[in-house]
Amino acid sequence: MKQRAELTLDRSIVGTRIRRRRRELGLSQTELARRLEISPSYMNLIEWNKRQIAGTLLRKTAIALDLELADIDSTSENRLLEALDEISHLPSLGALNIEDDQAGEFIGRFPGWARAVAALARSEHDATALAQALSDRLSNDPFLGETVHRMLTRIAAIRSAAEILTAYQDMTTAQRDRFYAIVDEESRILSGVGEALAAYLDKADEPTSTLTPIDEVEAMFDANENRFEAIESSVPKIRHRLGETQQLPRQEGARKLVVEYLRPVITEIIGLHPQIETNAARDRAQNALIDYGVSAVLMPLADFEHQAATHHYDIEALADIYAVEIEAVCLRLTALPRGRNTPQFGYYRANAAGSMIRIVGHEDLTFPRYAPACPLWVLFRAQQSPEAVIRQRALFPSGARFVFVARARNTGPTGFGKPRHYVTDMLAMTENDARHTVYAPDPSALVEEVGPSCRLCPRQNCDHRVEDPLAD
Amino acid sequence: MKKRILLAEDEPNIVESLQFLLERADFDVSVENDGHLALKAALEETPDVLILDVMLPGLDGYEILRRVRTDRRSQDLPVLMLTAKGQREDREMAIEGGVDIFMTKPFANTDIIKAVTELADRPRP
Repeated sequence: MKQRAELTLDRSIVGTRIRRRRRELGLSQTELARRLEISPSYMNLIEWNKRQIAGTLLRKTAIALDLELADIDSTSENRLLEALDEISHLPSLGALNIEDDQAGEFIGRFPGWARAVAALARSEHDATALAQALSDRLSNDPFLGETVHRMLTRIAAIRSAAEILTAYQDMTTAQRDRFYAIVDEESRILSGVGEALAAYLDKADEPTSTLTPIDEVEAMFDANENRFEAIESSVPKIRHRLGETQQLPRQEGARKLVVEYLRPVITEIIGLHPQIETNAARDRAQNALIDYGVSAVLMPLADFEHQAATHHYDIEALADIYAVEIEAVCLRLTALPRGRNTPQFGYYRANAAGSMIRIVGHEDLTFPRYAPACPLWVLFRAQQSPEAVIRQRALFPSGARFVFVARARNTGPTGFGKPRHYVTDMLAMTENDARHTVYAPDPSALVEEVGPSCRLCPRQNCDHRVEDPLAD
Repeated sequence: MKKRILLAEDEPNIVESLQFLLERADFDVSVENDGHLALKAALEETPDVLILDVMLPGLDGYEILRRVRTDRRSQDLPVLMLTAKGQREDREMAIEGGVDIFMTKPFANTDIIKAVTELADRPRP
């Protein structure tokens, strides 16, 4: 496998754009340097992306080249650069020897082509995720498994009875009538099972359909980028009442307020979301939104946003500041408005059996819903060191780099001789986003090769593989 | 003397067909449709062949197989597992558990009679 050069996100392609624009205007490098009051050699270094350019000099350059600042500011290009860097390190493209050190030059000279390559990669990523969801559904969906079992059983009964009717001509009339009756009865049952299966698959064909109550609730959160403005705007009207519940622990007091005053808001939110189709999902959505409301009462969004940035998104520090549990902080972090320097977080909660019990997904992280995830995720390892916050630097086969932060906690009563029942909370963020947090990995920190799940993972030599990949 | 077959199966229509077929093939058939009762019969009545469904109420076929193989009275009992759960892992689990023949539903009548006859005629220690 090709050795991956450390991606420098600040590596700018501004220089390439300046060079191209200067040439369009027919200016020499020396002339532009003179206008900017810098040396020609420094201008040369900037144009070949060997020196960063920012602040006043960047603004002066934009004016000298008759451009808007946004035209040469590299924020969007840096994202494109990151995407192309990931693409250049996809294992499936390893044999192509992609010139990964030329990505900046490529974006600067051919921005349209660069965006097209990134868009195609995104499309491939989405198609792979869909294939995984369908594959997982086929192999792990309990309804399908049960239905196939019922169909095969009915078919077995019909086939055996039909063969008896054909092969044994010497049966009594009563016996013959009995086997005809079996064929008739089993055929009717089989028809019903088949119809139920058709209706189920018809629903599953809808690309946005959601199949379990957990999925329905997650879809509702996705549709709102994990933030519910109706609750946020209602909370200031009730927060002052927190003092009225002083006889209760803080969290319980907040819950009492939310249940008492925000139920109509919550009911309205659920009613407005077509993603919530079933009664089971309605109950789950209500509980999830009550939890959300409790977090909103205890961690007011604007203040939380400020404190989170100040403390570099340190979940333990934030839990101390607001006197709440770490999982509440994790969930609140997923609700932060997405901004230029605000990391995007995903939240995952798993029990000791490895089952996912809460997901507020990260849009760039493929997560199997109906099959086990990769066991190498720290999410499944944190229970070896309960209560400790553990960081993992994870490299996916696609080249995507994530930082996972996990902590296992006991959920049951404690006491000598009592069994511990741990669940693990995990935050996920891209390595790029992690730079804004206390969890930013040192460049020399161990990078662990993980996957989404065995079915989608191309790492053939992984010692932990339990299923064959979808495509060899 | 007729060979005795214990049929552990809870689908009544399949039981009816298999009972008819086996009796026509000159076997003596007894039926249990509950896992616990099937295990009891396998251990105490020492049939010549056990036909074992996987999805039985009370105790599933794999657990019955495990207990049959660990009991001195039945450790050599020929077992034919008959199931609609025919995925590779089901087959592997059955073979690891010590099943003699693994057959999936739907089955051909001739195949099942042939398999049971082979097991019934197999010399036992």
